[in-house]
Amino acid sequence: MKLNENISKEDRKMLNGIFWRSFTVFASRAGATKAHAPGFIYSITPALNRYYKDDPEGRCEAMMRHTTWYNITQNVGTFVMGLVASMEKKNAQEKDFDAESIVALKTSLMGPLSGIGDSIFWGVIRVIAAGVGISLATQGSILGPILFLLIYNIPSILTRYYLTYMGFSLGSSFIEKIYANGSMKILNKAASTLGLLMIGSMTASMVKFESKLSVPIAGGKPILIQTYLDQLFKGLIPLSITLLCYWLLSKKVNVNWILLGVLVLAIILGLLGVV
Amino acid sequence: MYREAFLAALTVFVCYGGNWLFGQTMIERPLVVGCIAGIIFGDMRAGIIMGASLEAIFMGAVDIGGALSAEPVTATVLATTFSIVLNVNEKAALALAVPIGVLAAFISMFMKNVVMNLFAPLVDKYAKDNNPRAIAIMHYSMWFINYFVFSLITFFSVLEGAKPVQHMINSIPDNLMAGLSATGGLLPAVGFAILMRMLWSKKLAPYFFLGFIMVAYLNLPSVAVAALGIILVLVISFKDKQLLDMENKQKELEKRPVAAAGAGVSNNETAEEQEEEDFFS
Repeated sequence: MKLNENISKEDRKMLNGIFWRSFTVFASRAGATKAHAPGFIYSITPALNRYYKDDPEGRCEAMMRHTTWYNITQNVGTFVMGLVASMEKKNAQEKDFDAESIVALKTSLMGPLSGIGDSIFWGVIRVIAAGVGISLATQGSILGPILFLLIYNIPSILTRYYLTYMGFSLGSSFIEKIYANGSMKILNKAASTLGLLMIGSMTASMVKFESKLSVPIAGGKPILIQTYLDQLFKGLIPLSITLLCYWLLSKKVNVNWILLGVLVLAIILGLLGVV
Repeated sequence: MYREAFLAALTVFVCYGGNWLFGQTMIERPLVVGCIAGIIFGDMRAGIIMGASLEAIFMGAVDIGGALSAEPVTATVLATTFSIVLNVNEKAALALAVPIGVLAAFISMFMKNVVMNLFAPLVDKYAKDNNPRAIAIMHYSMWFINYFVFSLITFFSVLEGAKPVQHMINSIPDNLMAGLSATGGLLPAVGFAILMRMLWSKKLAPYFFLGFIMVAYLNLPSVAVAALGIILVLVISFKDKQLLDMENKQKELEKRPVAAAGAGVSNNETAEEQEEEDFFS
Protein backbone atom coordinates (compact mmCIF):
# COMPACT_ATOMS: atom_id res chain seq x y z
CA MET A 1 0.00 0.00 0.00
CA LYS A 2 1.19 3.50 -0.80
CA LEU A 3 0.02 4.98 2.45
CA ASN A 4 3.30 6.30 3.74
CA GLU A 5 4.30 8.36 0.74
CA ASN A 6 2.67 11.66 1.51
CA ILE A 7 3.25 11.52 5.25
CA SER A 8 6.16 13.51 6.67
CA LYS A 9 8.76 11.87 8.86
CA GLU A 10 7.50 13.58 12.03
CA ASP A 11 3.93 12.57 11.28
CA ARG A 12 5.03 9.00 10.76
CA LYS A 13 6.77 9.04 14.13
CA MET A 14 3.59 10.37 15.71
CA LEU A 15 1.42 7.72 14.02
CA ASN A 16 3.75 4.97 15.21
CA GLY A 17 3.37 6.42 18.70
CA ILE A 18 -0.41 6.16 18.38
CA PHE A 19 -0.11 2.61 17.05
CA TRP A 20 1.95 1.46 20.06
CA ARG A 21 -0.12 3.31 22.63
CA SER A 22 -3.35 1.96 21.14
CA PHE A 23 -2.46 -1.50 22.46
CA THR A 24 -3.33 -0.26 25.96
CA VAL A 25 -6.54 1.53 24.96
CA PHE A 26 -8.79 -0.89 26.86
CA ALA A 27 -6.47 -1.35 29.85
CA SER A 28 -8.65 0.94 31.93
CA ARG A 29 -12.37 1.49 31.91
CA ALA A 30 -13.58 4.64 33.63
CA GLY A 31 -17.07 3.47 34.48
CA ALA A 32 -20.13 3.22 32.30
CA THR A 33 -20.27 6.87 31.25
CA LYS A 34 -16.77 7.38 29.91
CA ALA A 35 -15.74 3.80 29.17
CA HIS A 36 -12.36 3.93 27.48
CA ALA A 37 -11.92 7.70 27.23
CA PRO A 38 -8.67 7.74 29.27
CA GLY A 39 -7.17 5.10 26.97
CA PHE A 40 -8.22 7.10 23.94
CA ILE A 41 -6.69 10.33 25.23
CA TYR A 42 -3.53 8.47 26.18
CA SER A 43 -3.34 6.93 22.68
CA ILE A 44 -3.72 10.20 20.76
CA THR A 45 -1.44 12.21 23.09
CA PRO A 46 1.43 12.09 20.53
CA ALA A 47 -0.81 13.89 18.03
CA LEU A 48 -1.97 16.51 20.56
CA ASN A 49 1.59 17.15 21.70
CA ARG A 50 2.75 17.56 18.14
CA TYR A 51 0.07 19.86 16.76
CA TYR A 52 -0.55 21.99 19.85
CA LYS A 53 3.12 22.34 20.73
CA ASP A 54 2.95 26.13 21.14
CA ASP A 55 -0.69 26.28 22.12
CA PRO A 56 -1.28 24.83 25.61
CA GLU A 57 -4.84 26.13 25.61
CA GLY A 58 -5.57 24.35 22.36
CA ARG A 59 -4.21 21.11 23.72
CA CYS A 60 -6.28 21.48 26.87
CA GLU A 61 -9.42 22.02 24.81
CA ALA A 62 -8.60 19.02 22.66
CA MET A 63 -8.16 16.80 25.71
CA MET A 64 -11.45 17.97 27.15
CA ARG A 65 -13.16 17.21 23.84
CA HIS A 66 -12.06 13.60 24.05
CA THR A 67 -13.20 12.86 27.61
CA THR A 68 -16.46 11.54 26.16
CA TRP A 69 -17.48 7.88 25.87
CA TYR A 70 -15.22 5.85 23.60
CA ASN A 71 -15.48 2.21 22.58
CA ILE A 72 -14.50 0.63 19.26
CA THR A 73 -13.16 -2.89 18.65
CA GLN A 74 -9.62 -2.00 19.53
CA ASN A 75 -7.62 -3.09 16.50
CA VAL A 76 -10.09 -1.34 14.18
CA GLY A 77 -10.38 1.75 16.38
CA THR A 78 -6.92 2.92 15.30
CA PHE A 79 -8.59 4.12 12.11
CA VAL A 80 -10.50 6.67 14.17
CA MET A 81 -7.35 7.56 16.10
CA GLY A 82 -5.52 8.34 12.83
CA LEU A 83 -8.53 10.25 11.59
CA VAL A 84 -8.77 12.28 14.79
CA ALA A 85 -5.05 13.05 14.53
CA SER A 86 -5.52 14.46 11.02
CA MET A 87 -8.52 16.52 12.13
CA GLU A 88 -6.71 17.89 15.18
CA LYS A 89 -3.92 18.87 12.82
CA LYS A 90 -6.38 20.85 10.70
CA ASN A 91 -7.94 22.37 13.80
CA ALA A 92 -4.55 23.56 15.01
CA GLN A 93 -3.76 25.10 11.64
CA GLU A 94 -7.06 26.64 10.63
CA LYS A 95 -8.72 29.20 12.87
CA ASP A 96 -12.27 28.62 11.66
CA PHE A 97 -12.26 24.83 11.81
CA ASP A 98 -15.32 23.44 13.56
CA ALA A 99 -13.77 21.51 16.47
CA GLU A 100 -17.10 19.95 17.43
CA SER A 101 -17.09 18.02 14.18
CA ILE A 102 -14.13 15.95 15.44
CA VAL A 103 -16.13 14.44 18.28
CA ALA A 104 -19.24 14.14 16.14
CA LEU A 105 -17.40 12.16 13.49
CA LYS A 106 -15.60 10.02 16.06
CA THR A 107 -18.89 9.15 17.72
CA SER A 108 -20.67 8.44 14.46
CA LEU A 109 -17.98 5.95 13.39
CA MET A 110 -18.10 3.92 16.62
CA GLY A 111 -21.17 1.89 15.70
CA PRO A 112 -20.32 0.86 12.13
CA LEU A 113 -16.64 0.21 12.86
CA SER A 114 -17.34 -1.89 15.94
CA GLY A 115 -20.00 -3.80 14.05
CA ILE A 116 -17.65 -4.88 11.28
CA GLY A 117 -14.67 -5.23 13.66
CA ASP A 118 -16.49 -7.46 16.14
CA SER A 119 -17.89 -9.74 13.51
CA ILE A 120 -14.62 -10.17 11.58
CA PHE A 121 -12.26 -10.48 14.53
CA TRP A 122 -14.45 -12.02 17.22
CA GLY A 123 -16.88 -13.92 15.06
CA VAL A 124 -14.62 -15.18 12.28
CA ILE A 125 -10.85 -15.00 12.80
CA ARG A 126 -10.98 -15.94 16.46
CA VAL A 127 -13.39 -18.79 15.74
CA ILE A 128 -11.13 -20.16 12.98
CA ALA A 129 -8.07 -19.77 15.21
CA ALA A 130 -9.82 -21.50 18.11
CA GLY A 131 -11.09 -24.28 15.84
CA VAL A 132 -7.57 -25.08 14.67
CA GLY A 133 -6.13 -24.58 18.16
CA ILE A 134 -8.67 -26.75 19.96
CA SER A 135 -8.32 -29.68 17.55
CA LEU A 136 -4.55 -29.77 18.21
CA ALA A 137 -4.82 -29.02 21.92
CA THR A 138 -7.23 -31.87 22.64
CA GLN A 139 -4.30 -34.16 21.83
CA GLY A 140 -2.20 -32.25 24.36
CA SER A 141 -0.01 -30.56 21.76
CA ILE A 142 1.50 -27.16 22.61
CA LEU A 143 1.04 -26.26 18.94
CA GLY A 144 -2.65 -25.73 19.79
CA PRO A 145 -2.23 -22.55 21.86
CA ILE A 146 0.68 -21.34 19.70
CA LEU A 147 -1.18 -21.63 16.40
CA PHE A 148 -4.26 -20.11 18.01
CA LEU A 149 -2.27 -17.00 18.98
CA LEU A 150 -0.54 -16.71 15.59
CA ILE A 151 -3.67 -17.13 13.46
CA TYR A 152 -5.49 -14.48 15.45
CA ASN A 153 -2.74 -11.96 16.11
CA ILE A 154 -1.01 -11.66 12.75
CA PRO A 155 -4.05 -10.27 10.92
CA SER A 156 -5.14 -8.38 14.02
CA ILE A 157 -1.87 -6.49 14.48
CA LEU A 158 -1.47 -5.79 10.76
CA THR A 159 -4.98 -4.34 10.69
CA ARG A 160 -4.22 -2.20 13.71
CA TYR A 161 -1.09 -0.81 12.03
CA TYR A 162 -2.46 -0.11 8.56
CA LEU A 163 -5.70 1.38 9.81
CA THR A 164 -3.77 3.94 11.89
CA TYR A 165 -2.18 5.19 8.67
CA MET A 166 -5.35 4.86 6.61
CA GLY A 167 -7.36 6.89 9.10
CA PHE A 168 -4.76 9.64 8.93
CA SER A 169 -4.32 9.79 5.17
CA LEU A 170 -7.66 8.69 3.72
CA GLY A 171 -9.96 10.27 6.24
CA SER A 172 -13.65 9.79 6.74
CA SER A 173 -14.46 10.06 3.03
CA PHE A 174 -12.99 6.58 2.61
CA ILE A 175 -15.43 4.95 5.01
CA GLU A 176 -18.33 6.83 3.47
CA LYS A 177 -17.23 5.72 0.02
CA ILE A 178 -16.97 2.02 0.77
CA TYR A 179 -20.34 2.17 2.51
CA ALA A 180 -21.88 4.03 -0.43
CA ASN A 181 -20.52 1.85 -3.24
CA GLY A 182 -21.49 -1.35 -1.43
CA SER A 183 -18.01 -2.84 -0.87
CA MET A 184 -18.74 -2.88 2.86
CA LYS A 185 -21.79 -5.03 2.24
CA ILE A 186 -19.73 -7.61 0.36
CA LEU A 187 -17.10 -7.68 3.09
CA ASN A 188 -19.77 -8.05 5.74
CA LYS A 189 -21.48 -10.84 3.86
CA ALA A 190 -18.21 -12.70 3.29
CA ALA A 191 -17.28 -12.45 6.96
CA SER A 192 -20.70 -13.61 8.12
CA THR A 193 -20.75 -16.53 5.67
CA LEU A 194 -17.37 -17.81 6.78
CA GLY A 195 -18.24 -17.24 10.43
CA LEU A 196 -21.52 -19.15 10.23
CA LEU A 197 -19.85 -22.03 8.40
CA MET A 198 -17.20 -22.29 11.10
CA ILE A 199 -19.73 -22.01 13.93
CA GLY A 200 -21.81 -24.73 12.28
CA SER A 201 -18.81 -27.02 12.07
CA MET A 202 -17.84 -26.33 15.68
CA THR A 203 -21.40 -26.97 16.84
CA ALA A 204 -21.03 -30.42 15.33
CA SER A 205 -17.65 -31.15 16.89
CA MET A 206 -17.95 -29.47 20.29
CA VAL A 207 -21.54 -29.58 21.48
CA LYS A 208 -21.88 -33.10 22.78
CA PHE A 209 -24.79 -35.13 23.99
CA GLU A 210 -25.03 -38.85 24.44
CA SER A 211 -27.97 -40.62 26.02
CA LYS A 212 -27.53 -43.94 27.74
CA LEU A 213 -31.25 -44.60 27.86
CA SER A 214 -32.27 -47.92 26.46
CA VAL A 215 -35.51 -49.70 25.78
CA PRO A 216 -35.51 -53.23 27.15
CA ILE A 217 -36.85 -55.87 24.82
CA ALA A 218 -38.23 -59.11 26.12
CA GLY A 219 -35.77 -61.88 25.38
CA GLY A 220 -33.40 -59.67 23.40
CA LYS A 221 -30.71 -57.04 23.62
CA PRO A 222 -31.98 -53.67 24.87
CA ILE A 223 -32.12 -50.99 22.18
CA LEU A 224 -30.08 -47.85 22.78
CA ILE A 225 -32.04 -44.67 22.15
CA GLN A 226 -28.84 -42.96 20.99
CA THR A 227 -28.51 -45.31 17.98
CA TYR A 228 -31.97 -44.25 16.84
CA LEU A 229 -31.19 -40.59 17.29
CA ASP A 230 -28.01 -40.98 15.24
CA GLN A 231 -29.84 -42.76 12.47
CA LEU A 232 -32.45 -40.02 12.37
CA PHE A 233 -29.88 -37.24 12.05
CA LYS A 234 -26.36 -37.21 13.41
CA GLY A 235 -26.00 -34.66 16.19
CA LEU A 236 -29.72 -33.96 16.30
CA ILE A 237 -29.80 -33.06 19.99
CA PRO A 238 -26.72 -30.75 19.98
CA LEU A 239 -28.05 -28.99 16.89
CA SER A 240 -31.53 -28.52 18.36
CA ILE A 241 -30.17 -27.21 21.64
CA THR A 242 -27.90 -24.73 19.88
CA LEU A 243 -30.77 -23.49 17.73
CA LEU A 244 -33.01 -23.27 20.80
CA CYS A 245 -30.41 -21.14 22.59
CA TYR A 246 -30.15 -18.92 19.52
CA TRP A 247 -33.93 -18.57 19.37
CA LEU A 248 -34.09 -17.63 23.07
CA LEU A 249 -31.34 -15.05 22.57
CA SER A 250 -33.15 -13.52 19.63
CA LYS A 251 -36.21 -13.26 21.87
CA LYS A 252 -34.02 -11.10 24.15
CA VAL A 253 -33.78 -13.63 26.96
CA ASN A 254 -30.82 -12.75 29.21
CA VAL A 255 -27.82 -14.89 28.41
CA ASN A 256 -27.20 -15.75 32.06
CA TRP A 257 -30.65 -17.32 32.32
CA ILE A 258 -29.92 -19.43 29.26
CA LEU A 259 -26.60 -20.55 30.74
CA LEU A 260 -28.33 -21.43 33.98
CA GLY A 261 -31.12 -23.20 32.10
CA VAL A 262 -28.68 -25.43 30.18
CA LEU A 263 -26.81 -26.16 33.41
CA VAL A 264 -29.97 -27.18 35.24
CA LEU A 265 -31.27 -29.18 32.27
CA ALA A 266 -28.06 -31.21 32.06
CA ILE A 267 -28.00 -31.88 35.79
CA ILE A 268 -31.64 -32.98 35.80
CA LEU A 269 -31.00 -35.30 32.85
CA GLY A 270 -28.06 -36.71 34.80
CA LEU A 271 -30.11 -37.27 37.93
CA LEU A 272 -32.81 -39.00 35.89
CA GLY A 273 -30.20 -41.29 34.38
CA VAL A 274 -30.74 -40.06 30.81
CA VAL A 275 -27.09 -39.20 30.26
CA MET B 1 -1.13 -24.12 49.73
CA TYR B 2 0.24 -20.54 49.89
CA ARG B 3 2.65 -21.27 47.07
CA GLU B 4 -0.07 -22.68 44.78
CA ALA B 5 -2.43 -19.85 45.63
CA PHE B 6 0.24 -17.29 44.82
CA LEU B 7 1.12 -18.99 41.51
CA ALA B 8 -2.54 -19.19 40.49
CA ALA B 9 -3.02 -15.50 41.33
CA LEU B 10 0.08 -14.63 39.32
CA THR B 11 -1.24 -16.55 36.31
CA VAL B 12 -4.51 -14.63 36.46
CA PHE B 13 -2.70 -11.30 36.68
CA VAL B 14 -0.34 -12.06 33.79
CA CYS B 15 -2.98 -13.55 31.47
CA TYR B 16 -5.96 -11.34 32.29
CA GLY B 17 -4.13 -8.08 32.92
CA GLY B 18 -1.63 -8.78 30.16
CA ASN B 19 -4.36 -9.39 27.63
CA TRP B 20 -5.88 -5.96 28.19
CA LEU B 21 -2.56 -4.17 28.54
CA PHE B 22 -1.25 -5.60 25.26
CA GLY B 23 -4.04 -5.09 22.81
CA GLN B 24 -6.39 -8.00 23.54
CA THR B 25 -3.95 -10.49 22.07
CA MET B 26 -6.13 -13.40 23.26
CA ILE B 27 -3.72 -14.57 25.96
CA GLU B 28 -6.80 -14.52 28.20
CA ARG B 29 -8.47 -17.34 26.28
CA PRO B 30 -8.68 -20.75 28.01
CA LEU B 31 -6.49 -22.37 25.33
CA VAL B 32 -3.57 -20.16 26.35
CA VAL B 33 -4.39 -19.79 30.05
CA GLY B 34 -4.73 -23.56 30.46
CA CYS B 35 -1.34 -24.09 28.84
CA ILE B 36 0.35 -21.48 31.05
CA ALA B 37 -1.31 -22.76 34.24
CA GLY B 38 -0.27 -26.26 33.23
CA ILE B 39 3.37 -25.22 32.82
CA ILE B 40 3.35 -23.43 36.18
CA PHE B 41 1.87 -26.41 38.02
CA GLY B 42 4.15 -28.90 36.31
CA ASP B 43 1.74 -30.70 33.98
CA MET B 44 1.61 -28.85 30.68
CA ARG B 45 -0.19 -31.61 28.80
CA ALA B 46 -3.05 -31.71 31.31
CA GLY B 47 -3.28 -27.91 31.22
CA ILE B 48 -3.49 -27.80 27.44
CA ILE B 49 -6.19 -30.48 27.28
CA MET B 50 -8.14 -28.71 30.01
CA GLY B 51 -7.77 -25.45 28.12
CA ALA B 52 -9.10 -27.01 24.92
CA SER B 53 -12.29 -28.23 26.65
CA LEU B 54 -12.79 -24.90 28.39
CA GLU B 55 -12.19 -22.94 25.16
CA ALA B 56 -15.15 -24.73 23.63
CA ILE B 57 -17.34 -23.98 26.66
CA PHE B 58 -16.33 -20.31 26.83
CA MET B 59 -16.27 -19.81 23.06
CA GLY B 60 -19.15 -17.36 23.18
CA ALA B 61 -17.97 -15.61 26.32
CA VAL B 62 -16.65 -12.53 24.59
CA ASP B 63 -16.27 -9.09 26.11
CA ILE B 64 -18.06 -6.92 23.59
CA GLY B 65 -18.67 -3.38 24.71
CA GLY B 66 -18.08 -4.32 28.34
CA ALA B 67 -20.96 -6.79 28.54
CA LEU B 68 -19.67 -10.19 29.51
CA SER B 69 -21.53 -13.46 29.98
CA ALA B 70 -18.75 -15.44 31.63
CA GLU B 71 -15.20 -14.54 32.56
CA PRO B 72 -12.88 -17.27 31.30
CA VAL B 73 -9.53 -16.45 32.98
CA THR B 74 -10.40 -16.97 36.64
CA ALA B 75 -12.50 -19.97 35.67
CA THR B 76 -9.71 -21.62 33.68
CA VAL B 77 -7.01 -20.96 36.26
CA LEU B 78 -9.10 -22.28 39.16
CA ALA B 79 -10.28 -25.33 37.23
CA THR B 80 -6.75 -26.19 36.09
CA THR B 81 -5.31 -25.59 39.56
CA PHE B 82 -7.90 -27.82 41.23
CA SER B 83 -7.50 -30.47 38.57
CA ILE B 84 -3.69 -30.67 38.67
CA VAL B 85 -2.85 -29.77 42.28
CA LEU B 86 -5.76 -31.47 44.04
CA ASN B 87 -6.08 -34.31 41.55
CA VAL B 88 -9.75 -33.50 41.08
CA ASN B 89 -11.47 -35.47 38.33
CA GLU B 90 -11.10 -33.49 35.09
CA LYS B 91 -14.80 -33.54 34.25
CA ALA B 92 -15.77 -32.30 37.68
CA ALA B 93 -13.23 -29.49 37.40
CA LEU B 94 -14.74 -28.52 34.03
CA ALA B 95 -18.24 -28.41 35.48
CA LEU B 96 -16.92 -26.30 38.35
CA ALA B 97 -15.43 -23.77 35.93
CA VAL B 98 -18.80 -22.66 34.62
CA PRO B 99 -20.35 -21.19 37.78
CA ILE B 100 -16.96 -19.66 38.65
CA GLY B 101 -16.88 -17.97 35.25
CA VAL B 102 -20.39 -16.55 35.59
CA LEU B 103 -19.64 -15.26 39.10
CA ALA B 104 -16.36 -13.69 37.97
CA ALA B 105 -18.18 -11.96 35.11
CA PHE B 106 -20.50 -10.30 37.61
CA ILE B 107 -17.50 -9.10 39.60
CA SER B 108 -15.85 -7.83 36.44
CA MET B 109 -18.89 -5.84 35.39
CA PHE B 110 -19.28 -4.46 38.90
CA MET B 111 -15.66 -3.33 38.93
CA LYS B 112 -15.63 -1.82 35.45
CA ASN B 113 -19.02 -0.15 35.44
CA VAL B 114 -19.60 0.75 39.07
CA VAL B 115 -16.35 0.97 41.05
CA MET B 116 -14.38 2.57 38.23
CA ASN B 117 -17.00 5.33 38.00
CA LEU B 118 -15.06 6.88 40.88
CA PHE B 119 -12.38 7.81 38.37
CA ALA B 120 -14.68 9.42 35.81
CA PRO B 121 -14.58 12.93 37.41
CA LEU B 122 -10.78 12.70 37.55
CA VAL B 123 -10.65 12.28 33.77
CA ASP B 124 -12.42 15.62 33.35
CA LYS B 125 -10.27 17.25 35.99
CA TYR B 126 -6.94 16.21 34.49
CA ALA B 127 -8.09 17.19 31.00
CA LYS B 128 -9.01 20.63 32.33
CA ASP B 129 -5.61 20.88 34.04
CA ASN B 130 -4.03 20.14 30.66
CA ASN B 131 -2.14 17.25 32.23
CA PRO B 132 -1.70 14.26 29.90
CA ARG B 133 0.85 12.72 32.27
CA ALA B 134 -1.75 12.46 35.03
CA ILE B 135 -4.17 10.83 32.61
CA ALA B 136 -1.51 8.31 31.61
CA ILE B 137 -0.74 7.51 35.25
CA MET B 138 -4.43 7.15 36.05
CA HIS B 139 -4.93 4.96 32.96
CA TYR B 140 -2.29 2.51 34.16
CA SER B 141 -3.35 2.66 37.82
CA MET B 142 -6.92 1.75 36.93
CA TRP B 143 -5.56 -1.17 34.97
CA PHE B 144 -3.49 -2.34 37.93
CA ILE B 145 -6.31 -2.00 40.48
CA ASN B 146 -8.83 -3.88 38.38
CA TYR B 147 -6.65 -6.89 37.64
CA PHE B 148 -5.05 -6.93 41.07
CA VAL B 149 -8.53 -7.43 42.52
CA PHE B 150 -8.98 -10.49 40.30
CA SER B 151 -5.63 -11.90 41.42
CA LEU B 152 -6.66 -11.45 45.05
CA ILE B 153 -9.94 -13.24 44.41
CA THR B 154 -8.04 -16.14 42.86
CA PHE B 155 -5.51 -16.20 45.68
CA PHE B 156 -8.16 -16.56 48.39
CA SER B 157 -10.28 -18.95 46.32
CA VAL B 158 -7.37 -21.39 46.08
CA LEU B 159 -6.28 -20.84 49.67
CA GLU B 160 -9.69 -21.18 51.29
CA GLY B 161 -11.57 -23.08 48.62
CA ALA B 162 -9.27 -26.01 47.97
CA LYS B 163 -10.30 -28.19 50.91
CA PRO B 164 -14.07 -27.65 50.68
CA VAL B 165 -13.98 -28.11 46.91
CA GLN B 166 -12.08 -31.37 47.20
CA HIS B 167 -14.43 -32.59 49.88
CA MET B 168 -17.49 -31.56 47.89
CA ILE B 169 -16.33 -33.23 44.70
CA ASN B 170 -15.48 -36.47 46.50
CA SER B 171 -18.98 -36.68 47.88
CA ILE B 172 -20.84 -36.10 44.60
CA PRO B 173 -23.03 -39.10 43.71
CA ASP B 174 -22.49 -40.80 40.33
CA ASN B 175 -25.62 -39.65 38.53
CA LEU B 176 -25.06 -36.03 39.58
CA MET B 177 -21.51 -36.39 38.29
CA ALA B 178 -22.89 -37.63 34.96
CA GLY B 179 -25.14 -34.58 34.81
CA LEU B 180 -22.22 -32.28 35.58
CA SER B 181 -20.12 -33.78 32.81
CA ALA B 182 -23.08 -33.43 30.45
CA THR B 183 -23.12 -29.68 31.19
CA GLY B 184 -19.61 -29.49 29.77
CA GLY B 185 -20.92 -31.03 26.57
CA LEU B 186 -23.98 -28.83 26.24
CA LEU B 187 -22.71 -25.43 27.41
CA PRO B 188 -20.75 -24.67 24.22
CA ALA B 189 -24.20 -24.44 22.58
CA VAL B 190 -24.83 -21.19 24.44
CA GLY B 191 -21.50 -19.79 23.28
CA PHE B 192 -22.17 -20.62 19.64
CA ALA B 193 -25.66 -19.15 19.91
CA ILE B 194 -24.14 -15.85 21.07
CA LEU B 195 -21.80 -15.80 18.10
CA MET B 196 -24.65 -16.70 15.75
CA ARG B 197 -26.58 -13.69 17.03
CA MET B 198 -23.79 -11.55 15.61
CA LEU B 199 -23.67 -13.12 12.16
CA TRP B 200 -27.02 -14.76 11.44
CA SER B 201 -29.29 -13.68 8.62
CA LYS B 202 -31.96 -15.75 6.89
CA LYS B 203 -30.10 -15.77 3.58
CA LEU B 204 -26.86 -16.97 5.16
CA ALA B 205 -28.41 -19.57 7.47
CA PRO B 206 -27.75 -22.49 5.07
CA TYR B 207 -24.00 -22.04 5.56
CA PHE B 208 -24.40 -22.79 9.26
CA PHE B 209 -26.01 -26.12 8.41
CA LEU B 210 -23.43 -26.78 5.71
CA GLY B 211 -20.69 -26.37 8.29
CA PHE B 212 -22.54 -28.68 10.67
CA ILE B 213 -22.89 -31.44 8.06
CA MET B 214 -19.27 -31.08 6.93
CA VAL B 215 -18.22 -32.21 10.39
CA ALA B 216 -21.12 -34.39 11.58
CA TYR B 217 -21.23 -36.57 8.45
CA LEU B 218 -18.02 -35.90 6.52
CA ASN B 219 -15.81 -35.74 9.63
CA LEU B 220 -13.66 -33.01 8.12
CA PRO B 221 -11.02 -31.49 10.46
CA SER B 222 -11.45 -27.80 11.23
CA VAL B 223 -8.52 -26.70 9.07
CA ALA B 224 -10.20 -28.32 6.07
CA VAL B 225 -13.53 -26.64 6.89
CA ALA B 226 -11.80 -23.26 7.20
CA ALA B 227 -9.91 -23.71 3.92
CA LEU B 228 -13.02 -24.82 2.01
CA GLY B 229 -14.91 -21.95 3.61
CA ILE B 230 -12.37 -19.39 2.44
CA ILE B 231 -12.52 -20.74 -1.12
CA LEU B 232 -16.31 -20.68 -1.06
CA VAL B 233 -16.40 -17.12 0.28
CA LEU B 234 -13.89 -15.92 -2.32
CA VAL B 235 -15.95 -17.36 -5.16
CA ILE B 236 -19.13 -15.78 -3.81
CA SER B 237 -17.45 -12.42 -3.23
CA PHE B 238 -16.07 -12.27 -6.79
CA LYS B 239 -19.55 -12.89 -8.09
CA ASP B 240 -21.02 -10.26 -5.75
CA LYS B 241 -18.39 -7.76 -6.78
CA GLN B 242 -19.25 -8.30 -10.43
CA LEU B 243 -22.93 -7.75 -9.74
CA LEU B 244 -22.14 -4.67 -7.69
CA ASP B 245 -19.98 -3.15 -10.42
CA MET B 246 -22.76 -3.67 -12.92
CA GLU B 247 -25.26 -2.08 -10.59
CA ASN B 248 -23.05 0.91 -9.91
CA LYS B 249 -22.48 1.38 -13.63
CA GLN B 250 -26.18 1.19 -14.26
CA LYS B 251 -26.82 3.82 -11.62
CA GLU B 252 -24.20 6.11 -13.08
CA LEU B 253 -25.65 5.81 -16.55
CA GLU B 254 -29.12 6.57 -15.25
CA LYS B 255 -27.90 9.57 -13.32
CA ARG B 256 -26.08 11.18 -16.21
CA PRO B 257 -28.22 13.38 -18.42
CA VAL B 258 -28.02 12.48 -22.07
CA ALA B 259 -26.23 15.73 -22.79
CA ALA B 260 -24.23 15.25 -25.95
CA ALA B 261 -20.74 15.91 -24.61
CA GLY B 262 -21.13 14.04 -21.32
CA ALA B 263 -22.69 11.02 -22.95
CA GLY B 264 -19.90 10.82 -25.47
CA VAL B 265 -17.24 10.62 -22.78
CA SER B 266 -19.09 8.12 -20.63
CA ASN B 267 -19.80 5.89 -23.61
CA ASN B 268 -16.15 5.84 -24.45
CA GLU B 269 -15.27 4.93 -20.91
CA THR B 270 -17.72 2.14 -20.61
CA ALA B 271 -16.69 0.77 -23.97
CA GLU B 272 -13.10 0.70 -22.82
CA GLU B 273 -13.98 -0.94 -19.54
CA GLN B 274 -16.10 -3.43 -21.38
CA GLU B 275 -13.15 -4.36 -23.56
CA GLU B 276 -10.94 -4.77 -20.56
CA GLU B 277 -13.42 -7.04 -18.87
CA ASP B 278 -13.86 -9.12 -22.01
CA PHE B 279 -10.11 -9.46 -22.18
CA PHE B 280 -9.87 -10.74 -18.62
CA SER B 281 -12.80 -13.09 -18.77
